[in-house]
Amino acid sequence: MFDTRLFRPGGPVKPEERDWPSFRGAINEAMREEMRRDPLVFQMGEDIALASPFGVTTGLAAEFGRERIRDAPCAEVAVVGAAVGAAMGGMRPIVELQFGDFMSVAIDQLTHQAAMLRYLTGGQVKVPLVIRLPCGGGQGAGSQHSQSLYSWFAHVPGIKVALPSTSMDAKALMKAAIRDDNPVLFFEHKQLYRSRWPVADAFRDPEHVGEFGKACVRREGEQITVVATLTMVHHALAVARALAAEGVSVEVVDPLTLVPFDVDTIVASVRKTGRLLVVDEAYQGFGIQAEVIAAVTERAFDALKVAPRRLGNPGVPVPFAPPLEREVLPGQARIEAAIRAMLAH
Amino acid sequence: MSHTSSPVPAAERRDLMRTMLLIRAVEKAWGDAYLAEEIGGIPPSLSTGQEAIAAGACAALEAGDFVFTTHRGQAAQVARGLDPRRILAELYCRRTGYNKGKSYHVTDFSRGVIGMGGIVPAQVPVAGGIALAQKMRGTDRASLAFFGDGASNEGAVHEAAALAAMWSLPLILLCENNGYCITQRDTDAIKGQSIAARAAGYGLPGVRVDGTDPEAVLAAIWEAVARARAGDGASFIEARCERLTGHLIHDTQGYRPAGELEAAWARCPIRLYGGRLRDDGVLPASEFDRMQAEVDAEVAAAVDFARAQPWPEPSEAFEDLWA
Repeated sequence: MFDTRLFRPGGPVKPEERDWPSFRGAINEAMREEMRRDPLVFQMGEDIALASPFGVTTGLAAEFGRERIRDAPCAEVAVVGAAVGAAMGGMRPIVELQFGDFMSVAIDQLTHQAAMLRYLTGGQVKVPLVIRLPCGGGQGAGSQHSQSLYSWFAHVPGIKVALPSTSMDAKALMKAAIRDDNPVLFFEHKQLYRSRWPVADAFRDPEHVGEFGKACVRREGEQITVVATLTMVHHALAVARALAAEGVSVEVVDPLTLVPFDVDTIVASVRKTGRLLVVDEAYQGFGIQAEVIAAVTERAFDALKVAPRRLGNPGVPVPFAPPLEREVLPGQARIEAAIRAMLAH
Repeated sequence: MSHTSSPVPAAERRDLMRTMLLIRAVEKAWGDAYLAEEIGGIPPSLSTGQEAIAAGACAALEAGDFVFTTHRGQAAQVARGLDPRRILAELYCRRTGYNKGKSYHVTDFSRGVIGMGGIVPAQVPVAGGIALAQKMRGTDRASLAFFGDGASNEGAVHEAAALAAMWSLPLILLCENNGYCITQRDTDAIKGQSIAARAAGYGLPGVRVDGTDPEAVLAAIWEAVARARAGDGASFIEARCERLTGHLIHDTQGYRPAGELEAAWARCPIRLYGGRLRDDGVLPASEFDRMQAEVDAEVAAAVDFARAQPWPEPSEAFEDLWA
């Protein structure tokens, strides 16, 4: 369904998608508009000026110069720390980590410093920064370049977390992230970068800014609610379309942000359908899937006709070999099987 | 009449002395409060023996410059002119403390003091970030990061120093080498010539100064500040001193070789500098005693203030997380 070839040129754009903005182009456009609007916005990351690894920052150095599009050394602790300090000092930094997995290298600067400094100083400082984290598997990139680690960071206080799944919300949420006065992690699924999506007219409006904490009902349905993020949104939608031919009615909800988290929209959906399936690439244990199920169960236990279910990485490193990787990550076959099993009750 | 060859004016030398006395008195009050079980939690981390470093360094700074402190951060707070009453109120975890009772790493952003002592040495890369903001915003202000000899072995310091050199940041890396990382001697962990000698590897000027002499520290930091203001980039300074109290106040330092601590007290910066000012005719013994009495009275009043302050309301636990 998506791009499974990491770092290789994509095929020709399909004629029907020619006018649709790409996912990476949408993020690029959001950053470009915000950098034009606000001279305090600047970027740091490895190779972002000369050879943007995934093409997200392409062309920005030519417009904004190398002071504002800063090629950073391979030193995640210093770079994330510099972003924290620059943010406290009045700038609005955006950091690209080449692979989101590398956030692990600088986790103290994020979770103890960026996230806590406002609280620890009794509200004296603001830390407005955005860290962009290319994430997700399905491209044979191996265990340390394929993870979806948002549960780690949504777990600790003080960090907002965005998970855009189309060009429209990628642009709107990136603009919201840059304007936010808090630290924001922006997870970008690598399979989505070259994908193209139809957009509303508001996409072209530089003042159209997204809203954190607002889930999107991607498809309305009556019999089961599937909560999914990133590429899994689209896999869930594909399954929903296929099952509709059999008269099965599936609602698909995309949370879009984990912090803040729009539990109300999901609870309303489950109150309607009575069934909840959560699908995500993240490790299943103690993760996003469990949190969604717990949040719904606390509020709408009485509405559940059947025990909620979750799909995710069952708990092994994402393997290199494609047959192994396919076995570990959820996909349309497992989503369909889970929906059928839950509707059999 | 002064008989000294010190380039520092007499009034400024007396200020340095007073700052050092105030640091020690504030810290002693905090330590005493813990020992008397007035306060609990992590035992106080005093900088006894290191007072000359903060006093000298902060005397070289101006408004708009930033300092980032360690877990022994009280010295720099006092030296930057923070109110001892509100410092102690914070150390007593009261709501009128600088951080509203939320952290004993006292911060006053308006005076450029950022307390980040919780994780060694997280403040150093962040200080680099403020320096980056100062540079990108076109100011000539500088950012100074305190860190210890133990912290100097952390990767974050190496990364921050290398980045500061690469981007020519107005950053001053000030290593307070008090000889011990809890129980570990600096020479057991640092196998190069010195900590300052590492600066060459980062591409930064590195100097080692006597951290018991506030004027030596002042001169070194003044030079680093001038470099930063001129746009010439970062500097690395190691100030060698003695740790005269334990790592934390409950630490009796039984692990130190016999006689070492007694010998270290001969390098107490307050004794040394007090003697020097007396010998130079800048601060006769009677004036020193009067200064000490004033400082003690100020700190006693600050303790009374802190004790009288209210605790935070429980609901305040949920404030100040989000901007």
